[in-house]
Amino acid sequence: MKSPLNLIALLALLCAPLSFAEGFKPARTVDLVVHTGPGGGSDVLARAIAVMVEKEKLLPVRLQVVNKPGGAAAVAAAHLAEKRGDPNTLGLFTGVWLQTPLVSAEAKVTLRDLTPIARLVLEPAVIAVKTDAPYKTLAEFIDAAKKNPGQLKQSGGSNTSRDNVVRQLLQKSTGARWAFISFPGGGERIAALLGGHVNIMVMEPEEAGEHIRAGSLRVLAQVTEKRLPSFPDVPTLKEAGFDVPVVPQVRGVVAPPGIPKENVEFWQDFFRRLTRTPSWRKYIADNQFEDGYQNAADLAKFYDEFTDKMREILKDAGVKTVR
Amino acid sequence: MEEGTRKSGDLWSGVALAALGGYIVVQARQWEYLGPEGPGAGFFPLWYGVAMLGLSALLIVSQLRRGSARGSAIAWTRLGRALSTWFALAVSVALFKPLGFAISFALLTYFIVAVMYRRPLKTAALVALASAAGFYLVFDRALGVPLPVGILGF
Amino acid sequence: MEIIAGLLNGFAVALEPANLFWCFVGVLLGTVVGILPGLGPPATIAMLLPLTFNMNPGGAIIMLAGIYYGAKYGGSTTSILMNVPGESASVVTCLDGYQMARKGRAGAALGIAAIASFIAGTVGVVGLMLVAPPIAKFALSFSSPEYFALMSLGLALVVLLAGRSIVKALLAALVGLWIASMGTDLFSATSRFTFGQMELLSGIDFVVVAIGVFALAEVLVNLEVREETRLLPVPKGLRNLLPTMQDLKDCRFAFVNGSVIGFLVGALPGGGSTIASFLSYGLEKAVSRRREQFGTGVVEGVAAPEGANNSETGGALVPLLTLGIPGSGTTAILLAALVLWGFKPGPLFIPEHPALFWGLVASMYLGNVMLLILNLPLVPLFAQVLKMPAYVLYPLILGVSMVGVYSVSASMFDLLLLMVFGLLGYLMRKLDYPSAPLILGLALGAGMERALRQSLMMSEGKLSILVSRPISAVMLSFALLVLLIPVFGKLNAWRLRALEQG
Repeated sequence: MKSPLNLIALLALLCAPLSFAEGFKPARTVDLVVHTGPGGGSDVLARAIAVMVEKEKLLPVRLQVVNKPGGAAAVAAAHLAEKRGDPNTLGLFTGVWLQTPLVSAEAKVTLRDLTPIARLVLEPAVIAVKTDAPYKTLAEFIDAAKKNPGQLKQSGGSNTSRDNVVRQLLQKSTGARWAFISFPGGGERIAALLGGHVNIMVMEPEEAGEHIRAGSLRVLAQVTEKRLPSFPDVPTLKEAGFDVPVVPQVRGVVAPPGIPKENVEFWQDFFRRLTRTPSWRKYIADNQFEDGYQNAADLAKFYDEFTDKMREILKDAGVKTVR
Repeated sequence: MEEGTRKSGDLWSGVALAALGGYIVVQARQWEYLGPEGPGAGFFPLWYGVAMLGLSALLIVSQLRRGSARGSAIAWTRLGRALSTWFALAVSVALFKPLGFAISFALLTYFIVAVMYRRPLKTAALVALASAAGFYLVFDRALGVPLPVGILGF
Repeated sequence: MEIIAGLLNGFAVALEPANLFWCFVGVLLGTVVGILPGLGPPATIAMLLPLTFNMNPGGAIIMLAGIYYGAKYGGSTTSILMNVPGESASVVTCLDGYQMARKGRAGAALGIAAIASFIAGTVGVVGLMLVAPPIAKFALSFSSPEYFALMSLGLALVVLLAGRSIVKALLAALVGLWIASMGTDLFSATSRFTFGQMELLSGIDFVVVAIGVFALAEVLVNLEVREETRLLPVPKGLRNLLPTMQDLKDCRFAFVNGSVIGFLVGALPGGGSTIASFLSYGLEKAVSRRREQFGTGVVEGVAAPEGANNSETGGALVPLLTLGIPGSGTTAILLAALVLWGFKPGPLFIPEHPALFWGLVASMYLGNVMLLILNLPLVPLFAQVLKMPAYVLYPLILGVSMVGVYSVSASMFDLLLLMVFGLLGYLMRKLDYPSAPLILGLALGAGMERALRQSLMMSEGKLSILVSRPISAVMLSFALLVLLIPVFGKLNAWRLRALEQG
């Protein structure tokens, strides 16, 4: 009676390392933490990812979106930091997660404190003016700004947002100067542009799309490395003659600290597979994102480079950095 | 509220608000008042801080001019009841983490019914259990609204 | 006329059995969500989005929109019965609604809220249908100077909300402004008044403060004495279970007021139901013959803000559907939903998808009718809640407050803030500081500061921008007039006294 049991036990022992080699599999619902409330940019992307995971059957368990708004991503980052060692929680980060710790002393968790998993997308932008504006190219706008320093106006987000970063870089490289007016919501920014209260705006291609089709907005340049397929006739910044780095708006995935290596590899592999699925490709194309996939190691490097660059830019812009 | 109590209340609240106004002004001075691109972070706070200082000074002065009536007895019993309820509420919230919503709320309700309202203990227990269960069933189970969960898992 | 043709087509779509069903589901869900404090339409719609992928988009948008405007009906319930504002737009309803309940007229309050919501909601849809494009254009001419003027008008209403001591009302409003500026400054990324707490980086949620200062404080005040008997007079007879003819007559102007202001403010990107309800309440009080009674339980004080926050829905859909610009949290997620289904809301949306637009508009008419039929019979039922003995009711209110706050962002920190503001509200009651101005200052403070700074950036530092633009000049003059009303009142009283003595 003992020998079959022993045999089974032996077999089990032999199989154990095999199952370890297979790697980790999530045992319960996976939480994907976002820093916005329902309807915000990250929330929408996270929900789209959840739907894709179901459709393409990428996980044996469900992926659910957990909203942890507040503190400009500080609350979400802190929440992840608290979940140390938990392999079933992930966070969807964006540029805000990198910037907030730079300027706010209260935001104590940086991306370096969390485990990088993958970078997913880069969001390009386009520079747009009203159709009845006298500027047909970005160069014309810059010239007008040089002639009337401080009088032209751009609507955008907070002064650490990508909109302002693009402006700071352009101002520095051309010597032109124009005002930046912050509005908390995308709707208000576009309304300010359409209503003629500001002259120019850096916006997402999706936001601009319909207005361009309706003829109310004109795009002067795109903030990308290569031209987007939906804007084949619009020059990139470099092509338009402005040698400024393309600072991307990123979205990617991080995990709590203290995750064992095999979990990191599992998730890295998972997101790599996700970005190869047809539903993902369609989503990227529909929303005019750029596939910016990077694995965990590259993401860590990117993070360091990005933070250093951002620190410099913010200092130039006169924003106090605390880290 | 008694005249006298109201007057001394006005005085103290005036002082507290003046202190707050002063604090706001001091903080506001540390931030940029007028930057190259427009008013800075310190602009608005400075102004409403100054307004707060001014108005609370007005309040204090008007109380002093009326001549403070001898502060008659503050209704200590009433204040005490309200503050103990608040304290019980605070304790209940503090217990959310270890004990979860259902148990903490039941304890709070029991306290209010038994101690504050002096109902018989059985009534208190009944009301406490019924409301806690009600909240749990309606919000957590039926509607999926998150309630603080303690170490016992609910 | 293409509008009539469009509308008839719309009804053809909306009256399809499937779409009728989804409309009903939406408004029912909306009512339930609205009644519960804290949980709001954005979260509900977000949760339901995955389920909508297999539905036809027409039915899906009809249902989601139903949740949106349905929630506005239910929001007044806890405000009136318990002084617990369900969401930020319901805060103003607490002022007179709860006082009516204390006088035993809870049924009338709830009923008038439902009726006002119906009238204003319908007017909002009519507006969306008839004047969407010109209103959208008008709304675009509104920018920061006009917003500043609008908010100044709102803040000037503090004077009207004053009560006995204007100094105390102003001080309360200033404290509200202070609380509003806690957080990260949008323009300079400076942290203001965050006391080192990262949770404060995005400021303090308005609803948390409102629930603390209104509901919690009310409970604490009532617990000062041990009530042996039932505390609120039981509504006697049908007269107090539903609004009377006299009530309806008193609210004639309020119905118009709420409908128009709600719709216009809702159409402004950046305007919202909170400011709409405050403005409508203030206007009602300003023109009312029984101005001094506001705050003690006058029925127009419930009808005006409740109407405003319902027609605001129709107004908010104007920029969304004509320009693709979302004005508020809920419209943002509706936009995301439309995009997810493959539509791109923008200037070409209505011409290219007339069936969807008109189907939605028609369904909103039907939805409002459904909501009136759903809500009115519930009124006497809800009014019975107040029959509960005090020792059951008050813990219930405390529980509802805590759950409401926690359901917003599952944050223990918010519960801590609730406690702090509850205590503050109680102290304010004892010391005779009116709480409505604090709430008003909090609601408007951030917006006002932003609008002023944006304006000055637009004009390169010249304050004259506020009066050189016609719309903002007009509104600022109104604000000045409002500030002068009590002065006129005092002058008049002085004049009358002089006449008597002379």
